[in-house]
This record gives sequence, structure tokens and C-alpha cells, in this order.
Amino acid sequence: MNFHYLISELYYQRRRTVTAVAGLSIGIALLIILNSLSLAYRQAAHAPLQEIGADITVQRSGDVPKELSGIVFPCSAVTIKAAEIKKIEGLKGVRGVGRAVLLWVFQPQRAWIVLGIERHNNVGPSILRNAVVAGRFLKDGQPEALAEAAYARQFGIKVGDKISLAGKKYPVVGLVDASRATKIAVANLYLPLGEAQRLAAASAPIQTVSPFTAEDANLLFIKADEEKIPEIAATLKSMFGEKATIATPDSLLKLLGSLFALSDKFTLAASLIAILVAVLIAFKTMAGNIAERSQEIGVMKAVGWTNRNVVMQLVGESVIQCFVAGVLGVALGIIAAFGLSFMKVSIPIPWEMCPTPHFLPGGGDQIFKTLQLPVHVPLALAVFAIILSVVIGGLTGGLLGRNVSRIKPSEVLRHE
Amino acid sequence: MSKTILSGDDLSKKYGDLEVVKHVSVSVDEGEFICLVGKSGCGKTTLLSLLSGLERATTGQVRYNGKNITTSSEDELALFRRENLGFIFQSFHLIPTLTAWENVALPLFPIKMSSDERRERAIELLEKMELEHRMEHLPSALSGGEKQRVAIARALINHPKILFADEPTGNLDSATGEAIMDILNKLHQEQGVAILMVTHEAELAKTADRLIRMHDGEIVS
Repeated sequence: MNFHYLISELYYQRRRTVTAVAGLSIGIALLIILNSLSLAYRQAAHAPLQEIGADITVQRSGDVPKELSGIVFPCSAVTIKAAEIKKIEGLKGVRGVGRAVLLWVFQPQRAWIVLGIERHNNVGPSILRNAVVAGRFLKDGQPEALAEAAYARQFGIKVGDKISLAGKKYPVVGLVDASRATKIAVANLYLPLGEAQRLAAASAPIQTVSPFTAEDANLLFIKADEEKIPEIAATLKSMFGEKATIATPDSLLKLLGSLFALSDKFTLAASLIAILVAVLIAFKTMAGNIAERSQEIGVMKAVGWTNRNVVMQLVGESVIQCFVAGVLGVALGIIAAFGLSFMKVSIPIPWEMCPTPHFLPGGGDQIFKTLQLPVHVPLALAVFAIILSVVIGGLTGGLLGRNVSRIKPSEVLRHE
Repeated sequence: MSKTILSGDDLSKKYGDLEVVKHVSVSVDEGEFICLVGKSGCGKTTLLSLLSGLERATTGQVRYNGKNITTSSEDELALFRRENLGFIFQSFHLIPTLTAWENVALPLFPIKMSSDERRERAIELLEKMELEHRMEHLPSALSGGEKQRVAIARALINHPKILFADEPTGNLDSATGEAIMDILNKLHQEQGVAILMVTHEAELAKTADRLIRMHDGEIVS
């Protein structure tokens, strides 16, 4: 391969070179954008769960409470037995399980959404320790409560107040801004898990609908190996039945409804189409180029270039063109990704995961987690796109070069 | 007595049912200048292609220094042409994206040598062709005569034993054509390069050592 000749050819045949490079670079840019968007939607869908340090949440559906008085479970979150929790902890790929107890407490003058949380577990709502805006977080072994800041503001609850639940008084030791931390598991009042378990176990309305012991829970947060999440979710579905709410990044992604969010298959198919179109453009331009150069190739062969010399020269030209197209395509993709990263996406949170009763003010409203779409081009994707371009160049040049090297110089050099 | 360097024995070429060259035998001696004349379509260019290994004969053999090259592969023939033959075409066939000196150096591109050496050899030949002022020009900036002189320099870059010239003055005006013929005559006389030239201009053939007339695919005299 003669590099000097190669560069001269690409430089002086600028129109041809620009057409081939532009065609392929647009295809590569589309590949980059499609995959970056798909990845961004996936990351966005992970956000609501990541906020509470989990990859999966589990709730079991049950019967509606017979009467909305006293302490009840929402029908979307009934008892998950301690033995079942132990079994989940033993599943392959599960790195940690956080337990919680979600209660609706109906009192004559007020209804409370109460969440019992583990104080030391990094998986689950204990992440709220970072959202304390007044007072302090819960201490070990103390029957005390945290109030949600907005709720406390609305009802004039202050640190130091005492709140009575099922006849027991809980001092409010702090206020937490739950909206800043998470959209899932937002409650009015947070208690230590043990307190919430005791309240649930002692509640007759709960026991009649869903027997509960002081070791059970009704809301689980699971941290898992990323590649095992679908497998674990399937096992949980089989354990808790089809009606259970098993929230995973994929299930949240499906709620988004965007084409990019729908499936890997869509992204793959669209990427393949983009690449196929790009390859066809590159192939057609290069085929046209080579057809125009049949006399030139005839001269090369007449003056002593072997078939291999000719093929290598054409492969070199094709590879360089496609490499430039690949780099340009990646650059275009990065620019487009930067533009798209200003886009906002709202992820709907399933109603089963919203703790507010639908019959209370705001309870029927769809909750969304809104965030900036985290579009970026991963280095591996950029490198893959450039390697793919070079491979396309090599194959296109090789294929066309092989055909054209069969040209008989005597046929193309014969004067009219 | 001069030594025969190239010979074609009983050469025929058929395209389907059409026999373009019919059982022709011809030889070229070292340093000989042969003109192949005849009407258009009589098979002159095809015979030239058969003898130079650009085309394969349907029957017969081509020998170079006694070695049969008829059975050589495409790549072997390419290397044979690179080492022993030079070509000049009526339509010049210069590469449009290469400058004059790069066109001259084209046969050297596949050979491992430094770019400077290639350039030096090409410029030396361009100087002989009085084209040193044109060496960085693209073919589009050259006149017909200049293009043909670049093509002659390209044909000489590998010090060929035989030059094949197919109507080398066909696309040139008479004055430029004469100048090109002067160069070819000089090459033949001073450097002893054998030349096999196809032409249909009887006037040009007068300078040749030998004249071969073709008619309807056969040698008639």
C-alpha cells in the first residue's frame, strides 16, 4: 500500500471522499445516539430505586382492609413472612435485603402514613439519615419518631412534640425532607422497624386480613448483582404470585413507554438498520468510485501491480475513509448526546409503590420521578463504533478490491 | 547476430466465435524497433496485448528469453511486466490524482524503496523528457504532448528491455507526434531499448527496423 497515493486519491477526489465519509459518519452517529439514549433511559429508570439504595422492591398484594380504622396495611403491601425474607437473602446474586413496615394509621382526628425503617441497613429508607433537616436521626432502641418535613410544616409538628399511635407516645426527634431523597416509601412518620412491627402485630384489623408477627415485614428493598436482577425478579414473582409488585429498573423502564426504553431489541434493530444504511452508502460510493477508476486500475496492473497490491491499496483507502467517518460519527454522537442531556424525563412510580391512600388528598395523583436524562457516550461504545467503522472499511475495500482486481488491463486500456 | 528476447508462436485469440488473431508467429530481437501496421480492427492491439502478457492467447505460446510465460499466473505476469516491459498508450492513461513525478514513479509504488529514491528516479527521467518544470503538476494541467512524455518516462522507470507503444501519437497533433517519435527513436538508438509499436500511420513506420503488416488477424508481410 502506498500511503502517498492513498492520500492523493482521497484529497483530490474530495467529493467522493466527503460523500462516503458523510454517509458512514451519519450511520455511526445514529448508532452512538441510539445506544446512548437507550443507556440513559436505563440509568434514569434505575434512579427511583437507586435513591433508596436498592435494585428491586417487593410488595405482596392482599385483601382490602375490612374497615379503615386503627392500624391497617395498604392492600398492595401485606405480610411478607420472616422465613420468606430469609429465603430471599439466600438467593444467588442478592447482596442485601432491607426490610420495612408500611402502615396506614387511621385515628379519629387524623390519618398517618407510617413507615418502620431499619436504622443501620444501607439498603432501604435508612438512606433518609442524609435528609434530616431538623433534629436528629433515629437512635438504637428508642421508641421515637421522625416526621416528614412538608407534612410537619402543614400540621405544625415540631421536634420535641409527641405523637400518639395506638395509645403509645412517640417523641418527634427530627424532621426529614423525604422528597429530596426519594419518591418511593415516602411517609408522614418514620419509626424504628421494631416499633412498627409491634404496632402491626398488635393490630386486630391487620391480623384478620394478613396475619403478621413482630419479625415480619411488608416492604422489602433488595440490592443485587446487576446481571442477576431479572433472574431474581422472576424468582420473586414465582414466590409471591403474579399480583405482587416487584419493581426493577426494567419494570420502571416499561412504564416510561418510550421507544428507546421499550427494549434492547428495539435499540439493537435500530442500530443494525443505521449501520446497514451506512454500510450501503459507503459500499455504493466506493463501488462507484472503483467503477470510475477501472482504467486507473488497469494501468496499475499493466505497469506491474499484482492483484494483492491493488487490493491492499483499495483496502487502505477504504479503511482510512471509514476510520475518519468513525471518528466524525463519534464526534457527532457526542455533540448530539450533549444536546440530549438537557432533556428531562419523568418516570412514573406505580401506584402500588405510592404509600398515600388513594382516597386521601393527593393519593390518586400519579407520582413521577423527574430527572435530567443522563445521556453520555461511554468510552467502550465510542471505541466499538470506531473499530466497527474500520472493519466496515476493511470488508468493503476487500470485497470491492477483490472484484476489481479481476479487471483485465487489455480490456479497460483499449482506446476507443 | 541479435538475440531474440520475445517471441510469439502460433498465437491465436478468440472472443466467442470471433477470431481476432489467427495463428500468428512473431519475434522481437534485442534492441529492435518493430512497427505493427494495419487497418483499424485488424488485431494489432490484441497481438500487442498477447505478446506483453496483458491478454492470454487462446492457442500458442509467448516466450521471453526462452521462458514460456503463457502458463504464468496473473501475479507472475504482473511482476514480469514490472521487471521487463514498458507501456505507452494512445490515451496516455495517467492517474489523474497523481502529479507528473508520482505518475512516473507509479510502477515503483509496490516496490520497497524510500520515497526519496522513487522521486529521484522519476525526476531524472522527467528531466530527460525536458519536463522538470512540470513535475509537480497534475495531468489535468499538462498538454497532450507533455502527458505522453510523462507516460514515456513512466514506461522507462524500470529500465525495460522492450517498450510496447500502442498508437503513441494517435491523440497528438503532427508536430507533437513527431517530437514523441524523436524521443522513441532516440531511446532505441542510444539506449538499445527494443520497441514494438502499433500504428496505422505509414509515415511513422518508416523509421522502424522492421515492419509487420496485419490484415484480418493475420500477418501479411
